[in-house]
Formats: sequence, structure tokens, C-alpha cells
Amino acid sequence: MIQINELTKIYKLTKKQMIEQKTKKDLKRAVDNLSLVAKPGEIYGLLGPNGAGKTTALRCIATLLKPTEGNIVVSGFDTVKESEKVRKKIGFLTNEIKLDPQFSPKYMFEFFGKLHKVDDKLIEERREKLFSYFEITDFQDKKIEELSTGMKQKASIAVSLVHDPEVIIFDEPTNGLDIVTARNVTDYLKLLKEQGKTVIISTHIMTEAEKLCDKIGIIINGSKVSEGSLEEILNRTGTRDLEDAFFELYKIHNKEEE
Amino acid sequence: MDGTKHIIKKELTRIFTDKKMIVSLFILPGVLIMVMYSVMGGLISNLEEDIETHVPTVYIQNAPEDFEDVIKELDYQANITYINSQDSIDSIKDDILIGDVELLVVFDEGFKETIGSYSSLGDAIPEVRTFYNPSEDYSGVARSNFNGIVLNTYHHYLLTERFGNTEQLQVFHIDRDPEAGVIVDEGKASGKSLSMLLPFLINIMLFQGAMALGMDAITGEKERGTIASMLLSPIKRSEIVFGKMISLGMLTSLSAVIYAIAVVIGIRNLSGGAMGEIASMTFTPLQIIQLLVLLIALVYFYVSLVVLVATFARTQKEAGTYVTPLYIIVMLGGVLTMFSSGSERGLEFYAIPVYNAAISLQNLLVGELTMPQFGVAVGSLAILASLITVLITRAFNNEKVMFNA
Ligand SMILES: Nc1ncnc2c1ncn2[C@@H]1O[C@H](COP(=O)(O)OP(=O)(O)O)[C@@H](O)[C@H]1O
Ligand SMILES: [Mg+2]
Repeated sequence: MIQINELTKIYKLTKKQMIEQKTKKDLKRAVDNLSLVAKPGEIYGLLGPNGAGKTTALRCIATLLKPTEGNIVVSGFDTVKESEKVRKKIGFLTNEIKLDPQFSPKYMFEFFGKLHKVDDKLIEERREKLFSYFEITDFQDKKIEELSTGMKQKASIAVSLVHDPEVIIFDEPTNGLDIVTARNVTDYLKLLKEQGKTVIISTHIMTEAEKLCDKIGIIINGSKVSEGSLEEILNRTGTRDLEDAFFELYKIHNKEEE
Repeated sequence: MDGTKHIIKKELTRIFTDKKMIVSLFILPGVLIMVMYSVMGGLISNLEEDIETHVPTVYIQNAPEDFEDVIKELDYQANITYINSQDSIDSIKDDILIGDVELLVVFDEGFKETIGSYSSLGDAIPEVRTFYNPSEDYSGVARSNFNGIVLNTYHHYLLTERFGNTEQLQVFHIDRDPEAGVIVDEGKASGKSLSMLLPFLINIMLFQGAMALGMDAITGEKERGTIASMLLSPIKRSEIVFGKMISLGMLTSLSAVIYAIAVVIGIRNLSGGAMGEIASMTFTPLQIIQLLVLLIALVYFYVSLVVLVATFARTQKEAGTYVTPLYIIVMLGGVLTMFSSGSERGLEFYAIPVYNAAISLQNLLVGELTMPQFGVAVGSLAILASLITVLITRAFNNEKVMFNA
């Protein structure tokens, strides 16, 4: 279970970042008063364009960033006050966080298993299961730097699940993957959901959100502009698919910003 | 502290399973240092030998007739050109300046006559002037040899001529057998010259080792995005910091040992080398323990410094820029000891980090490190390093530092 209560995250920009983002303000409100609840046995999808604040929100859940305002509770633990306990419960995947390129998937799996205090037999068992599901077994002793993008991503996913976390937070999990591998990953997310895990993902791919997510939160410029099941969102906006719904909302809310 | 253990294991595995790492961190610098010292030492001893055996070019003006006989008798080796008073000596002086000629000796005109006509106090005494260039090694040696061997003998010869018996004039001897008079503690003497060089080397090598390793292990991991994966695991930030620092300390120590061995091999390679005395150094067990404790404190301190810088830097390039001034300070600390001896410094000097390590090592090598000096040095290094460690742990908790956020 993830509960985000009125989360606001403001970045203080350096001079260089101000130039890069073409702004004169030195503060960036990346997430603005966001509240949501993701429940066990459900896949929650944060849908939004690049720069909407998806990664920022997920990093706050994963305890890597501290909320500027508001708070987040994961499995009953506050992400700031009890961050270590939260980290025990979560599996987090984001493309900026990588596995050591000099090590093999097998070594990394065992290393993080040990950091999570999983006992050796269990690590072994889970590795065999996950590696065979993601077809990493043949490559498990190769250095990660020698693997293809897809294989790297699958290895990262496997490693993030070494401690069988009850909350899964995946930031654009199919980003850069071919359709077969992407399907492999989304199928596994469904499997996790069926096991009763809480799953939250971010995506900018409409069809992925449509097919995969039980609940979708559309986020534009850091604010949640609509939330519900696919049906609810389509009904509310009077559209036939998610892409149309998104652009309806985008027209209204992106204007407000300017 | 289980996390720390696993991280140390991983860090060491990373280095020791990577051939390129081993070569670039240990083998290559080791070989380089060895070759450098062999060559340097070789040059120094060649130079010394060369100066000793060099046959100087000497001009002598107005040499008295019997002077040439004295030189022949002495078997004094030099290319001697005799000139008379009409010859100009200006061009010879120019040659001395540029190092083509080593020595010009000028006897006063009528040298022997002036000596012969001396009868009572106040009568003229002739002079021998020597012209040489003290900035040229050959010239300096040529002059002192000429004075010591030739002029001294000639002086004595003329005295004998005047008085017959010169014992009357001798009054007393100074060291008829100079070698027998040398009283020296071998360990201390060899320590003396080593104590100039070694603290400097140890300081630099330890810092350099920590620098190369630390920038890759911290800033490099930040750049590669791999450190964040560790920040996601349910262990304390301090465990990560300790894991990183301890493994770095171990690797730094190892690299220092390898570099030190390389230096020793390099120097030993010289036959009868200028610094062969390393072999003759002896330590008491207490000194060995002091040395170890001092080195551990120093490694801890340098590793903490490097890790602090590496943690705050965003890129390895940036880390390199920040760490260079520190490197220069460390070098300075070592250089300062080369020009002074440690025994006179007050205890407060032993609280100055970097410098204290250098002077403590210096004193230790000559067997003069007192317990209070040792305690103050190790204590101040350890306290400072602990404070820096606290800072590093804070930085690891800081999202701005770790994620530029
Ligand atoms: N570390 C940071 N420092 C400053 N600004 C940032 C930082 N990370 C992200 N931002 C800004 O915050 C906004 C949201 O970014 P992000 O959460 O990465 O969006 P998304 O994942 O939806 O693409 C963007 O405008 C981005 O430029
Ligand atoms: Mg993103």
C-alpha cells in the first residue's frame, strides 16, 4: 500500500540548470500537491509527458528524495522518518540507477540479496526463478557492461526483486525495450499483481497504461489532473481512447500553467 | 555492520577481478617508480663518480720553477697549461664562467724572490690566488683538490726550505688518521638522509593511491549511477560510507606497500648506490608499531579527505580539480621536512595535520620520536578524520549531494 498525501517537491535549480531549462526562476515545482493511493493487488499507472514529475514522485516514494511538503506512507512506514523500513519493503527500478557494469548479473543479485539480509538458499532459489523467467540464465556470468540494453534492464528488474518486495515501484519499465521484451516485463508485473503486491509504474505510453493499469493517474506539470480506471477517465472526458482523453486534459491544464 | 562487510568484499572483488585495474593501479605505477628510482639513483652515483674522476683543466700563471717539480712528484692529475705574466687571463675567466675551464691559479710576480727576501715582520708576503666557479661541480672539486693536494704540499715544501725543521711550526696535529675519529650511530646516519626523502615519498604515495582509487569508487559510481542502487538497500548510510572507506584504506595501504617495495628495489638496483643505506636500517619493535599506527592514521585521514571531496564532486573531472590543491598541500608538508629537522619543534606542531605525519615519520626514522609527539600526531589525525567521516555520512544523506536534487 502506498499513500501519497499532498506531496510537493520543489527543486532548487543551479545556474546551469536554469539555463538548460530556459527559466529565470531558481525554483522548480516538479510535483505539486499530489495525493494518491495505490492498493495491494492493483497496478497504479502514473501517466504523463516528459518532465511531468513522474520520476520525482516515484523517487520520493522510494525514499531517495525528501518531500518539500506533504508525506508518503509505504506499508505503514513514513518515507522520511522510517526510510530504512520502507526500503526493506520496496523494489525500485529507474533508468538513472544502474548495476555495476564490471559485475555479472549473478554477482549483483547475490550482493543485493545479502544487503537485504535474504538468506543464501532463498537468494539461490529466487535467482533461478527470476533469471529463467527473464531468460538471463545464459548470460548470468557475463559482465553487465557486455549485455544488450534489454538484457541489462531485465537484470535490473530481477535484482530489484531479490528480496520479494511487497511494493513494486517501476519508473518507465519498458523504456527502450523491444516489444517482445516489453511484453515479458508487463506480463511479469501482472503476475506480481496477482500475487497481491502493490505495483506503481510510470509511463508515457498510452497503450501500456490502457492494457496494464487498473488505475491511472494523469499528471501534467506536477499536478494530478485526472484519476480513475480507464473507463472512468474515458467517461469523464467523453472520449474513446486514452490518447484522446489525455489531449483533452492536456489542452486545459497545460494552458493554465502559462 | 553486515552491510559494510558485503560492500568491502564487493569493492575488493571489483579491483582484483579486473586485470586493467590491477595493472593501472598497482603494477604500472610500481614499475614506473622502480625505473624512476633506478635511473635517478644511477644518475646521482654516476655524477658523483664522474666528478671524482674528472680530469680538470687548470691554468697556472707565473708558476715558480720548482712548483712544476712538486706537481710531477705528486702525480696530480690535471690538464695543466702554464702561462706567464704577459698572457691575458680574461678569456680564461670567461671559460671558467661557462664551465670549459675548471681552475685558474695565479702566483704573484716574483713569488719566489719575494719569499726569499723576507727577513722581518712587515716585509711583503706573496699571494696565490685561485679563480673558480662554485656553481660548477667540477670547478669546485678541482679547486679544493688543488688547494688540498698541491698548494698544501708546496706550502710545506717552502716552509721546510726556509726553516729546515718544521715541527717548530706545526705546534699540533689535527686528526692524523681522520677515519679513526668518526663516531657514528649507523642507523641514525642512514636514517638521517632517508628521513629527508621518505616522509615526503610516503605522504605522496599514500595520498596518490587514495586519490586514484577514491575518485573512481565514489565520484565514478555517482556518475555511473551505481551508488544510488546501494542507497536503495535497507542499510544505514554510515554502513555504506564505512564500507567504502575501509576498502579504500585497504587498497591504499596495499598500493603504498607496493610503491615502497618498488622504491627499495629501484634503489637497491644501483651497485653501491647513493641510497643503498635503506638496507642497513633497523627498527625496534616499538618503532615498528609506531610506524604502523602512524601509517594507519595517515591512511584513514587521507582516505577521508579524498572521499569527502569525491562525494561532493559531480564528475570525476570536478573531483580532480578539487583534490589537486589538497595534493599540493600534502606535497608541501613533505617538502618542509626536507629542510629542517624535527627534534626542535614544539609539541603543537604535531597537531598540524599532514605536516605532523611528515615530521613524525622523519623523527621516527632517526629514532627520535617521543611518545607525546607520537600521541599528539596520531590523535589529531584520527580526530580530524572522524570529523570528516561524520561530514561524509551527512553528505550521503543529502539528496542535493547524491542526486543533484
Ligand atoms: N535533480 C533535479 N534538479 C532540478 N530539476 C530537476 C531535477 N530532476 C528533475 N528536475 C525537473 O523537474 C521536472 C520533473 O522531472 P521528472 O520528475 O524527471 O519528470 P518525468 O519523470 O515525468 O519526465 C522537470 O522539469 C525536470 O527538469
Ligand atoms: Mg522520468
